[in-house]
Amino acid sequence: MDLHYTEADRDFRIRAREWLKANVPQAPRPAHGTAGAQFDRDWQRKLHDHGWAGVAWPQEYGGLGLSGLRQVIWYEELARAHAPHHINTTYVALMHAGPTLIARGTPEQKAFHLPRILSGEALWCQGFSEPNAGSDLASIKTRGRIEGDHIVVDGAKMWTTDAQYGDYQELLIRTDPASERHKGLTWVICDMKTPGIDIKPIRTMLQDDHVSMVFYDEVRIPLSNVVGEVGKGWSTALATLSFERGLGFIGDQLELYERVNRAIDLAGKTRIEDGRLAIEDDGVAQRLAAIKADCIAIRAMTLADIAETDRTGEPGPKGSMMKLMVTTTHKALSEVVGEILGWSFLEFDGDRAAYPWTYDYLWSWVFSISGGTNEIQREITADRVLGLPKAR
Amino acid sequence: MYLAPDGHEVEIAEAAGAFVAQALPIARLHTPGSADLAADARARFGEMGWFALAVPESGGGSGLSAVEHALFFREAGRQCAPVDLLAQCLAANLTGDADIVSGKQGVALLVADGATWRLIGAADSALALQVTRDEAVLYPLAGVTTTARPALDPANSLGVVSTLPDSVERLAGDHVWQFGQLGTAAMLLGVAEAALDLIVDYAKIRETFGRKIGSWQAVRHPCADLAVRIEAARAQLWYAAAATKEARADAATHLDVAKHLANCAALAATDTTIQLHGGIGVTDEHDAHLLLKHALLLSRLFGAKRALLGRVLHAGLED
Repeated sequence: MDLHYTEADRDFRIRAREWLKANVPQAPRPAHGTAGAQFDRDWQRKLHDHGWAGVAWPQEYGGLGLSGLRQVIWYEELARAHAPHHINTTYVALMHAGPTLIARGTPEQKAFHLPRILSGEALWCQGFSEPNAGSDLASIKTRGRIEGDHIVVDGAKMWTTDAQYGDYQELLIRTDPASERHKGLTWVICDMKTPGIDIKPIRTMLQDDHVSMVFYDEVRIPLSNVVGEVGKGWSTALATLSFERGLGFIGDQLELYERVNRAIDLAGKTRIEDGRLAIEDDGVAQRLAAIKADCIAIRAMTLADIAETDRTGEPGPKGSMMKLMVTTTHKALSEVVGEILGWSFLEFDGDRAAYPWTYDYLWSWVFSISGGTNEIQREITADRVLGLPKAR
Repeated sequence: MYLAPDGHEVEIAEAAGAFVAQALPIARLHTPGSADLAADARARFGEMGWFALAVPESGGGSGLSAVEHALFFREAGRQCAPVDLLAQCLAANLTGDADIVSGKQGVALLVADGATWRLIGAADSALALQVTRDEAVLYPLAGVTTTARPALDPANSLGVVSTLPDSVERLAGDHVWQFGQLGTAAMLLGVAEAALDLIVDYAKIRETFGRKIGSWQAVRHPCADLAVRIEAARAQLWYAAAATKEARADAATHLDVAKHLANCAALAATDTTIQLHGGIGVTDEHDAHLLLKHALLLSRLFGAKRALLGRVLHAGLED
């Protein structure tokens, strides 16, 4: 057990801190539409051009090839610098699609897609869930029939984040019509410009259109776009999900500590109904301190997990526990800030930059539902960590 | 950077687990009169050098660190070991005295309670140790009147002391306090882990409505939530132990956070394990209530909620 950083780790932190201080965009991200997506692309392009893209990606695929610990340092410095939030339109490309292609892609797929992902040139979206297959992902029905060297896709996908801006989609389909459950599925790269794709945005409680329903009518995808093998898509999908549940929220994990300190500052200058500062209320102070303690422990969990992964080379089953811890802490923080802010918490027009605390509060449900609901994460923990008898 | 037992630490934890399970098995607490660390048990721990893990080799100890100290007390917590085990160990670190290191003289723990003091441990101990964030003070107990009170936790006797004699040893600073925080946080982690193990093992064999109860989400989900709280407490304890070992400037804050997380994990785990066991969980013959009662005691020592969170609120951390 030790907390040692190497000299190179410390140098990396200092260089990152200095570079971010000089380069983090001062203007807020446009809240809506293609302007927001362009802002994300530009920021990723800037990171790429200055040698900060893909900190833990292998060097042969354009990354920096650094340890998980350096990745932790990088995200800590992003949070400290108030850099653009890492869950934006580049998220699926960088945190799902890229790692999945590195693990399972063909040399041609890697050579084409990975540089475009790292430079912000290509945005990706996800096509896993369906109107009747969310938590029970293995019951998906969107069909792909193989015709010559193409797969022809018919069906519908649900909750696709940033479908309007995505250049490519990680699409999970049933290619064996006689198959059931986890068998007969295929993970395929879908070019979102292919004819036959229709995107219908879904307005959410955050007053945005960041998720969509996507319809496929005779959409022809080359067989060369299959990642993994035809009929073995479940295995590839699990790899994708393990990246999301493993390191996908590392930025949020580390940012929470910055955010709780901002909330404590806010409580120190915001007056509550009885005229006292919010921080002078024992209930508020104790809840904020308990959340801060949880945030400090989340950082310890992150470092413990990363150090183990750096040693073994693969993420363990603890990602689900991490997501439960982070999402519940995030929600608790949003709730106490809501009390501190009083009436101004009820002002909101969908703009994250203008109303960050209300946005985060509303987003807490997105956080605890997307990427596997908290109920599903509890099931995974019960099965894989505790070894309890199967519920199904 | 590595935040789990590693190398020789694993061996020490395994040896400690085997020794405590044999010398002080939790089952002892089902026999009346098993409170405190009896003289013969104390001598066996002393003989094996467990009180002096972190005492420098020049002082007759093993010269190990806060990390091994935490690993030992996690195992002690799993068996609801008495608090005088910790008092003895802290006094050994404070004095390096051969009679304390060997277990010849027993040490109980003294905690201020208004104008009086609570004595936790054997009333016939030779010494009593009081530890605050500012100093550690050792008092002789010979001639001191202790009023025995009925103890909720069967692992320790509980008494009230109204007058104390002059101290025999006094050390300024928070070194002993830090080891006390680590020891109690580690014991609470052990309690929490033991409580979760109890319900997980039971959920694999007990059936209701023709199914193992561990297959019902009403049981699976609370268990998963406990696993999360315990994982957080464990990671933070390792962080705090390493920060103490490395004398980092933010060690005191990490210890406060570790103690708070351990308090919460142990109280939640013992509560939930009793509830999910159903009727058998409230019986005297079951271990569940022993863990709960020990958690209640430990959560009041070396930092309870209000004081810990009061300090954490404005504390800063290093990278």
